[in-house]
Amino acid sequence: MREMIISELSQALQELVRGFAHFLPRLIVMLILAFVGWVIAYVAKVVLRSVLRLIKFDRLSENAGASQLLTKAALPSATEMLGRFVFWVVWLGFILLGVSVLGILGLQQQIARFFLFLPRLFVAMFIMFFGLLAASFFSRAALLAAVNANVPSPRVLSLAVRSIIIVFVLSIVFEELGLAEQTMLVAFGIVFGALMFGLAIAFGVGGRGLAQRFLEKRFVRGKKEENEDELSPL
Amino acid sequence: MAEESYLSDDFLRQLINVGEVDILVGLPTHNNAKTIGSIVQTIQSGILRGFPRERAVIINADGGSRDGTPELVTGGSIDDVRPASNLYALRTLHAISTKYASSPASEVAFRTILAAAELLRAKACVVMSPESANIEPEWLSKLLRPIYRDGFDLVTPTYRRHKLEGLLITNLLYPMTRALYGLRIREAYSLEFGFSGRLGSQFLEQNVWTDGTEGSGVELRFTLAAITARYRICQSFLGEKDHIERRAADLVPALRQTVGALFSALDPDFPVWSAVEGSQPVAGTGANQEVLLTPVRVNRKRLREMFSTGVAELESVFQSILSPSTLTELQRIARTGKEEEFDYPAELWVRTVYEFAASYQKSVISRDHIIQALAPLFRGRMFTFLMENRDASANDVENNIEGLCLEFERLKPYLLQLWKSRE
Amino acid sequence: MPLNRDVLWYKDAIIYQVHVRTFHDSNGDGIGEFQGLEEKLDYLQELGISAIWLMPFFPSPLRDDGYDIADHYSVHSSYGTLEDFRKFLGSAHDRGIRVIIEMVLNHTSDQHPWFQESRSSQDNPRRDWYVWSDTDTRYKGTRIIFLDTETSNWAWDPISKSFYWHRFFSHQPDLNYDNPAVREQMWNVMKFWLEMGVDAFRLDAVPYLVEREGTNCENLPETHDVLKELRRKLDAQFPGRMLLAEANQWPADLRPYFGDGDEFHMAFHFPLMPRMFMGLKLEDRKPITEILQQTPEIPSSCQWSLFLRNHDELTLEMVTDVERDYMYDTYAESKTMRLNLGIRRRLAPLLDNDRRRIELMNGMLMSLPGTPIVYYGDEIGMGDNINLGDRNGVRTPMQWNGGWNGGFSSADPERLYAPLIQDPVYGYPAVNVLSQTGSEHSLLHWMQRMITVRRSTAVFGRGSIEFLYPANHRILTYVRRLGNEAVLVVNNLSSTAQAVELDLRRYKGNILIEMFGKNMFPRVGDTPYLLTVGPYQFYWFRLRRI
Repeated sequence: MREMIISELSQALQELVRGFAHFLPRLIVMLILAFVGWVIAYVAKVVLRSVLRLIKFDRLSENAGASQLLTKAALPSATEMLGRFVFWVVWLGFILLGVSVLGILGLQQQIARFFLFLPRLFVAMFIMFFGLLAASFFSRAALLAAVNANVPSPRVLSLAVRSIIIVFVLSIVFEELGLAEQTMLVAFGIVFGALMFGLAIAFGVGGRGLAQRFLEKRFVRGKKEENEDELSPL
Repeated sequence: MAEESYLSDDFLRQLINVGEVDILVGLPTHNNAKTIGSIVQTIQSGILRGFPRERAVIINADGGSRDGTPELVTGGSIDDVRPASNLYALRTLHAISTKYASSPASEVAFRTILAAAELLRAKACVVMSPESANIEPEWLSKLLRPIYRDGFDLVTPTYRRHKLEGLLITNLLYPMTRALYGLRIREAYSLEFGFSGRLGSQFLEQNVWTDGTEGSGVELRFTLAAITARYRICQSFLGEKDHIERRAADLVPALRQTVGALFSALDPDFPVWSAVEGSQPVAGTGANQEVLLTPVRVNRKRLREMFSTGVAELESVFQSILSPSTLTELQRIARTGKEEEFDYPAELWVRTVYEFAASYQKSVISRDHIIQALAPLFRGRMFTFLMENRDASANDVENNIEGLCLEFERLKPYLLQLWKSRE
Repeated sequence: MPLNRDVLWYKDAIIYQVHVRTFHDSNGDGIGEFQGLEEKLDYLQELGISAIWLMPFFPSPLRDDGYDIADHYSVHSSYGTLEDFRKFLGSAHDRGIRVIIEMVLNHTSDQHPWFQESRSSQDNPRRDWYVWSDTDTRYKGTRIIFLDTETSNWAWDPISKSFYWHRFFSHQPDLNYDNPAVREQMWNVMKFWLEMGVDAFRLDAVPYLVEREGTNCENLPETHDVLKELRRKLDAQFPGRMLLAEANQWPADLRPYFGDGDEFHMAFHFPLMPRMFMGLKLEDRKPITEILQQTPEIPSSCQWSLFLRNHDELTLEMVTDVERDYMYDTYAESKTMRLNLGIRRRLAPLLDNDRRRIELMNGMLMSLPGTPIVYYGDEIGMGDNINLGDRNGVRTPMQWNGGWNGGFSSADPERLYAPLIQDPVYGYPAVNVLSQTGSEHSLLHWMQRMITVRRSTAVFGRGSIEFLYPANHRILTYVRRLGNEAVLVVNNLSSTAQAVELDLRRYKGNILIEMFGKNMFPRVGDTPYLLTVGPYQFYWFRLRRI
């Protein structure tokens, strides 16, 4: 009986060892991959940081208003963030690659999906970034135009422009990421429509007189009172 | 040569028929049917009086007029002038027209005129503005004679103006170009000026041409190019500047044409203006700056309001452009309650302008936005200038302007410092 | 070759203007005469001319180059006898060459017997033959023609102690045409020469025949009446003879001298000539086209007479001040060259001896509407001597060869009526008929060919003219038409090569045949006809529809 237990045990042990031995190279490979991945990720981070510094990415993100957001959230600068993000993504990628080597089935599918998802994530981030940039640009343009045209409440106008663009960008981003696309689109439609409707009512009903004067100023050139005593700057 | 491809075949054919000329008059137009007839007659008169034996041509660069302006230019014959003014035309005077675009773009118009001048080997050229309805025949001689007879390359005009008109020129353009480029050219940006064929050809070749839709202020760039390349420049007094109706909304385009052009020239011209110290007077013909003192109504309140609103609403923008101390000062001024206490002093204005110039160079935000942001601040400066000079005599106004110019010159090192700092 | 009997012969004529004194001296006295001229008729026939216009050869004190006539019925002794003239006339006619002589109607020399009688006393029968006055204030405001020498139109006569009227030199008193005896006498003078066989008269100074108070004393209706009377008699008794008017007036003022075809047959187009020179210097056709546009239509039997230069100064009377200043500055920088509001230079020196320009000007002369007149010596490109007084610089001896006196005379050089041109460029060794006859490329040969082509068609002398106005203002171009014939003339007035596009839609389908070389040029289509022309070049194209 004892021999049977021992032989079973040794057989089991042997199996274990064999399995382990079978598994060990893969584990080693995984660890190697992880290590290599870490190195590559680090290099990538450094390179990216240099590149971004070269193209003055910080300034761009300042323009985009992204920097302000980051500062408010007590996060480091955009370059740094992007660097770290890239670092983690690359390293994670390599780790997952290593894990896939381990041959655990279900995990492999998920890993594959993760890799498929990555490009879309990048695109979404790209859209987000430039969307923020555009929002910032156009909101500032609206602000300046409103100030120079002596339109009342220019900052409100500027904020409105910024909000609309951001909402629009967000809806595209969500669509890109495949997260509740339909919902987002509908939500955007509702918000935008409501906003416009509200503005129309406010402007048309509440600000009727103001609207009248505003339109007159813009389109009726006959109105001389305002213009007559404007000196020619040139 | 690449630049000739924007001349239409028909225009080229007309140029062939004109042949070599001594004098070329460039006339950019857009829907000027009301004034163009008499302007062309005046030009013809001016040519007959000042240059009766010279071969001359009028080149009309039209930006898509729909009121028959080109036909009015080419339709008038030189012999129509004769009964009116007893002048006799020895030669055929050509007047040809080309449509350079379907909407006006002063840069393309100017380029067309320069190309025609080069192909026709014109010795002396002049650009006239179709908006100045009060031009005299003598203006042509005044702008052309220094070039044709005395060997100058650029003749800028000086005018008799109202003391409160042209504040953009007197408070910004003139002092700044004077301080930076070292020449006291009063109207570096003008729509009427004379130039030699030599200068025109060089500018045609070396300038970076855009399609001109933004109104890039090529007139000012031309003057600056002449200064940096050390061409001989002089000023000529023409007469009274025609008052053109302008609205508040015209300030921003005017800023783009002038200040925008100036700021964008500062970077490539840096080696030149950084080495200049002080300023030299420019050779001048005719009466010196004259100033009219007739009373004129001004909506001062609105200027002040737009300044204060601008300072308040554009705070986020200004934070990117101005230094904190300047911004604080401006905010303090904006909060002034009483009109009499409002004062945008010269030194602060100079600092403002220089900080804007430095920010423009570094493109801290979109450059066009920087220019737009200057508008409300300029209005504040206008207000202060108006208040200072509302009862002033012609002499006093000139002295005040001179004082402002000296301030610009004095603070030039500050600009240089700003320029180098953020690098 | 007999004369053609066409009453309108003068429309097809090529006229050669010459002074008998300058052409050829056969008797060795240093002055040309009719016998000498007769000897050279072969040369003129070969040149191709069909009429000779002789400068005045009447007895005269020669203080105005013969225009001060002292005897209307004779020949000056220096030029031969009346018989010599008759012989010459016959020889000319034998060669098919007509003769046009001068007749000065307006005035005579003060040496003329008529004036001698007129001034002798107030009661003399011929007193009224001239215009006398006790004061010099009559006809105030009348312009003085010889500005360089005269200060008034009245001259004081010490013999009869009164003033006499003279529009020209003071030694040329004006005849009084209000006197019928004067009119009768002058017709008799003309009749004398017409009966001898003379073909035409150039009537000198016709605008000034009659004076009236309160007018400018020019072109008055009474003057026209006198002239019409002369013409009536001429047509009645001598059909086929011609009257040529010398009237330096604007075209509009000249028009009345043609009447309704019942006054002069021909008149000089004075205003055109300086404008041709001006157009050449400006390199702009404007002066030429303008004056021709302002030229009125004339009766169909009448004809303009065109010329480039003549015995007088290149007159700048009929131009504006701006134009005159320009002409002076460009053509006569030296004040010596200027005289009486004109420029006293010959054709070749005016054009800097530039062969191309000489050819172009002659080409225009022969193709513009009118009868061309060639001034003697211009066919070989003779030069001038501005240091000879008055207008004598353009009246030097004809240069026949490079030998003794240029072949003009066997006399001693000091005896010549005027010195020969001797400078290296225009002097007789360089410029003469003999050497040019021997050289195929000479100006003389070119002129002969030109005249031949001109005479090959009646379109130049009798056709209409229609100007084309291509955008290139340096090109002067027009179409001459007569019946079915059409000739396109293109002249490049500039010193540089030019391209020009002509609107020939009216002549669509025609082939252009260049008239000198007879080569074909492309047919006229729908698009503008492109021609390129060299400096100062011109084309004559026959438009042929085949």
